[in-house]
Amino acid sequence: MTVYSVRRIVLESYPILPACALISLFAGYLLNINVEKIEKVPLILMMVPPINGIGGNIGSILGARLASALHMGTVEPRLRGQRVLRGNIRASVLMSIGIFLIISASFFFIACVRGTAPVDSIRLMFAFFIAGIMLVPVIVLSTVALAFISFARGLDPDNVVIPVVTSIIDVSGVTCLLIAIKIVGV
Amino acid sequence: MIIRLGLSGAVMVKEVNIRAILIQGMSVLLLCTIIELGAGFALERMEEHIIELIPGLIVMVPPLLDLRGNINGALASRLGTALHTGVIEPRLALTAELKANIVSSLILSFIASATIGLLSYAICILTGAETIGVLSLVTIALIAGFTSGLILATFTVFVAVISYVKGLDPDNITSPVMATIGDFVTVVCIFLAVLFVR
Repeated sequence: MTVYSVRRIVLESYPILPACALISLFAGYLLNINVEKIEKVPLILMMVPPINGIGGNIGSILGARLASALHMGTVEPRLRGQRVLRGNIRASVLMSIGIFLIISASFFFIACVRGTAPVDSIRLMFAFFIAGIMLVPVIVLSTVALAFISFARGLDPDNVVIPVVTSIIDVSGVTCLLIAIKIVGV
Repeated sequence: MIIRLGLSGAVMVKEVNIRAILIQGMSVLLLCTIIELGAGFALERMEEHIIELIPGLIVMVPPLLDLRGNINGALASRLGTALHTGVIEPRLALTAELKANIVSSLILSFIASATIGLLSYAICILTGAETIGVLSLVTIALIAGFTSGLILATFTVFVAVISYVKGLDPDNITSPVMATIGDFVTVVCIFLAVLFVR
């Protein structure tokens, strides 16, 4: 008898996979209906893949870490008195701030090289950074909630968290970017 | 994650090594983002090219890519847990536990790809978009899903085991790396499947 059963993995994963794919398809649709608004702003279309990619990766790392921690018993599915959980969240938040800072700065340079006025380049840089920072609580909250709920219900968080979190981020990444454009007024 | 023994030796103090997570996570994220930014353009061109080959693919390609990423992400996540708990040993041998993980990923690739093929056909019919026959669409999904699944599952095992052996936490490394490689492999597999079916 093995710890991992093919039957269990397939039964736990199959129902969520097509659903997640449809949510991501909806994110693409959301992008498509806003494409005219977006295309007016240079570089914004180029910002969609990295914000979804980085967001998804941060969620995936936190999700994988929490799943391992829940299986090992170093984190329990409750919020109070969880040192390991706090440490993991802190690491994810710091990682997000760091990576969004670096990629925002590179967008500033890309914009300058492409001949965008410096003031507008700074605005673009802030748009990406603000969108990224708005995404962080979405990533952390949805990842922790999904990991805890799936584990408490007897599901393996390894099967559930990454697919669902990346789909949530596909939708919210585009949304945060749209809101950030409004805030910065590019 | 480091589990240190407390000074008394009796109490287990569980600590998180935030520094290690940050160094590993940031380097991987930075590398993946640079690759995605640099090669994203090429990937987009490839996608556009494939989509134009056969009607109906415009609906099916994005969910197939998403599916691929999710099946692999879950495999990567399980392997991370299995290596940490010792269920799977950090060597490249096909043990029963590793086999169960890979086989279930392949079965999922097969049935979920077929589902995506059927759903894409349904969406095309409902929205009045042009599409090829349901059988051809599902066949493309199946061939692309299964071949990319096989290639990427193998990669995932390698990345997880090697990162663990090198003293890195596979939870920090495997799923971002595979997400970056995954889209390219899948797009190429869809392209080959289209050539095969045409």
